[in-house]
Amino acid sequence: MLSRVADSLYWMSRYLERAEHTARLLDLTLNLTLDQDASVEVERWQMVLDSLRLPKPEAADAYQLTQYLTFDLRNKDSLVACISAARENAGQIREQISSEMWEHLNQLYLMVRRANIETIYNQPHGYFGPIKEGSHLIQGITDSIMSHGEGWHFIQLGRYIERVGLTTSLLDAHFKSMLKSDKLTAGGQDYISWVALLKSCTSFESYCQTYTADIRPERIAEFLLLNAESPRSVRFAAKTIQTSLETLSRINSKLKPGRAQRYAGRFRATLDYAQVDEIMADNIHNYLENIQRQCGQIHTAVHQQYIAYSVESALAH
Amino acid sequence: MEQQISSITELSKSQAPSFANYELDAAYDEMFEHDGTARAQYRPLFNRLQELAPSELKQRQQTADIAFLNQGITFTVYGNNEGTERIFPYDLLPRIITAEEWTKLEKGLAQRITALNLFLKDIYHEGRILNDGVVPRDLVYSCKHYRREMRGIRIRRDIYVSVVGTDLVRLNDGEFAILEDNLRVPSGVSYMLANRQVMKRVFPGMFSSYNVQPIDHYGQALLSTLRALAPPNRPDPTIVLLTPGVFNSAYYEHTFLARQMGIELVEGRDLIVHDNIVYMRTTGGLRRVDVIYRRVDDDFIDPLTFRPGSILGAPGLFNAYRAGNVALANAPGTGVADDKALYAFVPAIIKYYLDEDPILPNVETYLLSDDKQRRHVLANLDKLVVKAVGESGGYGMLIGPHSTAQEREVFKQLIESDPRNYIAQPTLALSRAPCFIDGRVEARHVDLRPYILYGENITIVPGGLTRVALRRGSLVVNSSQGGGSKDTWVLS
Amino acid sequence: MFYSIRHITRFSYSSPVSESAMEVRMQPRSEANQKCIRFDLATQPRSKIQGYRDHIGNIVHHFSIPGRHQQLKINAEATVEVTPALALPQALPTQAWHDLESLCASDEYWDYLVPSRYAHSSELLDVFKKEWNIERRDDPLTLLHEISALIYEEFDYAPQTTSVDSTIDHALEERRGVCQDFAHVMIALGRDLGIPCRYVSGYLYHGGARDRSAADATHAWAEAYLPDFGWIGFDPTNNIMTGERHIRTAVGRDYADVPPTKGIFKGKANTELSVGVQVSPTEAPPPGEEMIQMHTWISEPAQIEDDLQQQQQQQQQQ
Repeated sequence: MLSRVADSLYWMSRYLERAEHTARLLDLTLNLTLDQDASVEVERWQMVLDSLRLPKPEAADAYQLTQYLTFDLRNKDSLVACISAARENAGQIREQISSEMWEHLNQLYLMVRRANIETIYNQPHGYFGPIKEGSHLIQGITDSIMSHGEGWHFIQLGRYIERVGLTTSLLDAHFKSMLKSDKLTAGGQDYISWVALLKSCTSFESYCQTYTADIRPERIAEFLLLNAESPRSVRFAAKTIQTSLETLSRINSKLKPGRAQRYAGRFRATLDYAQVDEIMADNIHNYLENIQRQCGQIHTAVHQQYIAYSVESALAH
Repeated sequence: MEQQISSITELSKSQAPSFANYELDAAYDEMFEHDGTARAQYRPLFNRLQELAPSELKQRQQTADIAFLNQGITFTVYGNNEGTERIFPYDLLPRIITAEEWTKLEKGLAQRITALNLFLKDIYHEGRILNDGVVPRDLVYSCKHYRREMRGIRIRRDIYVSVVGTDLVRLNDGEFAILEDNLRVPSGVSYMLANRQVMKRVFPGMFSSYNVQPIDHYGQALLSTLRALAPPNRPDPTIVLLTPGVFNSAYYEHTFLARQMGIELVEGRDLIVHDNIVYMRTTGGLRRVDVIYRRVDDDFIDPLTFRPGSILGAPGLFNAYRAGNVALANAPGTGVADDKALYAFVPAIIKYYLDEDPILPNVETYLLSDDKQRRHVLANLDKLVVKAVGESGGYGMLIGPHSTAQEREVFKQLIESDPRNYIAQPTLALSRAPCFIDGRVEARHVDLRPYILYGENITIVPGGLTRVALRRGSLVVNSSQGGGSKDTWVLS
Repeated sequence: MFYSIRHITRFSYSSPVSESAMEVRMQPRSEANQKCIRFDLATQPRSKIQGYRDHIGNIVHHFSIPGRHQQLKINAEATVEVTPALALPQALPTQAWHDLESLCASDEYWDYLVPSRYAHSSELLDVFKKEWNIERRDDPLTLLHEISALIYEEFDYAPQTTSVDSTIDHALEERRGVCQDFAHVMIALGRDLGIPCRYVSGYLYHGGARDRSAADATHAWAEAYLPDFGWIGFDPTNNIMTGERHIRTAVGRDYADVPPTKGIFKGKANTELSVGVQVSPTEAPPPGEEMIQMHTWISEPAQIEDDLQQQQQQQQQQ
């Protein structure tokens, strides 16, 4: 497969994952802050910005922030910017993806471009809901229609590497602001926050199936980081990333595992044998940062191994 | 001037309302004789059309349109910043060519392409035809598509033009004549193939009742042609299609052909040249490329040799080509042979190299660099067609009878300031064929573009793209200017 | 006369670049009164150098350097033998104009008679022609001598006032320039008179002569085709006929056909180009690099057309 094509598939997938995440986060946040007082609202928006690793724009209220995170094209991580970037990448390789994938991505793009902050602010769910659905539809089509060859594995890599980054940032932001209070009362502010965290990772229901509705931060951390079955967990992502890299290596008949594969193997092992109490006892912030660093290494190694390798080294082989 | 077909008019009242508006004029009609009876090859089609209600035809037209849209068979029209995707309008009714007519076309086209290839080889080597004064040297040297860099370069099998699309028209007497040779990056073959697929779906019964020669092997034939150009020491060559990219109007065709051939669709940024070898950057490492079917203009293929700012090609590509390590189809510099002023000399070129008379005639052409011819043309601008020599796609053209005095004045000045850049031809009455327009069958002007492949031998898939000027009375068939196309049947 | 020539070119980039591809036209030609006995070319970083003869008979070397580098050095060394040029009469018969006419009608000189990218007629050139009454008279040789002298008298030699891609209008307007501009003006005037003229790039051995052009740089002049004599060199920069001191490396319609180096690389960087040339009689061994004075100038950042979308649309699909 051409490196350029692999790169476009990878980024299409990452941008789509990021857009879906932002849509979910904004949908929940706008819903949560409906009936809350101003100070809580400010705190909550700060956490959203932290989790997206964005600096706080000046004098921003909920309306302006929603505009900034949804429509502002100067913000490269805004929802519309992400969907545009996903579409642009897909457009470069239209012949490589199924026409259904392209059509739905194009429809999603047209839908998000048609709206503006005035038309959506009073009924944000009517806007963000279909975006989430559109993204799920595209992912479903990708998995069920596209052949699971090399291209599909680059899509998998993009999706799961992005997901790890988003989930860990979100966890980090929550632990930073919530750790102060250790008691959770059902219906209290913090309780609502932790539930929102699970919901923004579409994991509330599966969490309840595992742990009942008893909400505890360390259990949330355990679920989102170490659960073996949930496709939203970091451990699951690590497994998927490793599998895809092994397949890619086999397809391209690499005899020795490359750097990306070695990093992915190590990454998976650290998650397979981790214990949540150790993580909590130690320092969860450091732990999350370490995960992100490992994921960053995998990203760079994939890029160097398959996409932007130096011509000089390739010629030497 | 225009006579209604008596027999049709009668029919229209009773059985064939579809043909009520059908008119015959001086132009050759593909379906009807002058007296209004259907030509033998069209008779089964005509009979079938009389049985079908207009509503039924309309429904089939819709089925066809949807098929094109669903397959994403579109081309891009640029006007503002954002290009718009359009389907290339498809006309339901096939254009039928008899086996006898086709045999002559096939011979004539093969003869012409053989001679043009010999001409290209000659002007890039000894230049015998120039020394002998058969073709004026300045006509060749002043052509903007003449590539001095190609002089003295030996190329595989001496084949400069491997993929050709030649435009033919049928004149009033029913004979075909050559209107234009397209020897650089001819396009449209994907529409030819798609038209056939849709036709089989929309009129399966009628299609099978005729004995139509198949065209589906075009992709395979193109691949063998390209393979024949590979360097001799590369028995299992890697062949790629080089596209300018998604913003190019013919991008759909590039993806279509790459898929048909099962080869990689690359852009310039995927290619790397090192020590005169061309590679493409793949996830499995650099992979050597042996043959490039390029759909990128000469100027852009190599910024080191040609246009310095180009990012659509690969630096060093031309040096690898000169060294014989990679083949390019078509070769750079073939545009000199499809220059519209050089066109006038093609009959002489055929005679010079093959010592044969041309099987297919040219259209009479005035060279405007000649004082006498120019005076004649300027005095008769309202009757003639003027074309810019290096343009294609129906751009840079004046159709005298359809022009305003102001347009003629503009062209007069253009011609006088740069006579070499223009030619004139009589306004031709292109033949007309039945088309399904707004619920009725009407006559529209058509041309024919067969596709010729030149590899180990010459292959012409039977038929080609019949382009239709969909606007009533219009003579312009180009897709960018309101043209459409229809399936072309060559009977066996 | 034997010469040894050393020509050093150094590209320094403001940040690392990769995938450099370059063509070099530096090998002295072997023809007429000149013979290239030895030619060596080396690059740093090292590369595999390949070559070909272009359609005008110039030897072109080319190479690619895939890895990252921040400097590229090209070292060319040549040994050349030059014998005295054919002796010319003071003047030709007027009949020569007529001979020229039939020569141009029948032969392969078309490229050297029509305007080219840098050597073409212009309004300023017309003014210049009028001012000095340049039109067919006497005989071609006499007129060419006059034109060479005129350029020498009328234009100041002023290094670094024009760049490699300056048009002759720039020089005509300012009435100053460098050897390249003077050669282009002379070629444009010659072609206008119906005399085939071409551009020559090469070297000039100074050896104490009081030439205007710089001793430690490449040089350029014009050649005109005269019936019975062939290509005759005129060096308007120094107002001399070319002779035993001129060494030809490449000929073409104008500078655009024969740049000593032409290249492209991947990366965003400004380029600083330094060139040093030394020509010496070959009894002495080839000089060491430290003896060569390098001249440096900084180029504009390379203008890369990065409008991919626009270029993709521009492609003609017939």
